[in-house]
Amino acid sequence: MAMTIDVARLDGNPPLACVALTGELDASNYEQVIDVVRDAYADGARGLVLDLEHLTFMASSGLFALHSAVRIMGGETPPDPEEGWSALHQMSMDEDAPASTVRLAAAQEPIARVLERTGMLRLFALDATRAEAIATLQGA
Amino acid sequence: MVCMSGRSTSRHTIQVPASVDHLAEVRSFVRDCVADFGGSTRVADDLVQAVDEATCNVMLHGYKSKPGDIDIEASLRDRKIEIRILDRATTFDPTAAKPRDASRPPAPTRPGGMGLGIELLRGLTDEVHHSVRPDGGNELTLVRSIDGPTQEE
Repeated sequence: MAMTIDVARLDGNPPLACVALTGELDASNYEQVIDVVRDAYADGARGLVLDLEHLTFMASSGLFALHSAVRIMGGETPPDPEEGWSALHQMSMDEDAPASTVRLAAAQEPIARVLERTGMLRLFALDATRAEAIATLQGA
Repeated sequence: MVCMSGRSTSRHTIQVPASVDHLAEVRSFVRDCVADFGGSTRVADDLVQAVDEATCNVMLHGYKSKPGDIDIEASLRDRKIEIRILDRATTFDPTAAKPRDASRPPAPTRPGGMGLGIELLRGLTDEVHHSVRPDGGNELTLVRSIDGPTQEE
């Protein structure tokens, strides 16, 4: 199953991008997610909600995309998938708290299990709903 | 249709080109097989994840995105689902990768980069075996009980 990506811009403080992923996130399409997040940041978004309600599968390549999203929203250049592994490892070691600019919303059980099993919940907070994630980022 | 599949009572096969564009077919194949064997959705989820990671590694790390084929065989024996992934790629053994230091935050690597994918592969199955095929290529076997939990649970 292919993946579709829907992006919504939310004004406020900070301006947010809500990126909804539908389908399966794998090695064939993870770069699309990175591109969308990069575009959102360039467009002024300073917070990101990844709405995973309709995502049914996430491979480890998807975890790489999530990691890159944190870096992009922090104003950094994401690592080139072909280079810079030592930099990526260094970055991960510096982070030991959930990202403050990226939240994951409405993850289905299989996705949540993958995040938990790989230790990614140390880097991301899960919100039950998209609205909750938005409220948390914008301090409502 | 590039891939082909054959069905018998308890053994199924599929062949796909070594391209990440075919990973969805592989996942669909594994899910259908587990359902046919009578496995639960949870067992299917785990094996779909493990086989996706293993196959992606073959495509990107083994074949290095060059053309090639991957054969996948799924069978049920003694209440264990066994999935064999066969290729003609450069010899590599994903089971030789060092486990992640769990005290550190995770560091996802590029697809096929032998990172969290290998961790998933190990954690979602009961056994993983690698061998070099006599006539070249790799054989990776994943074993998962159709009933019980994985070793981590």
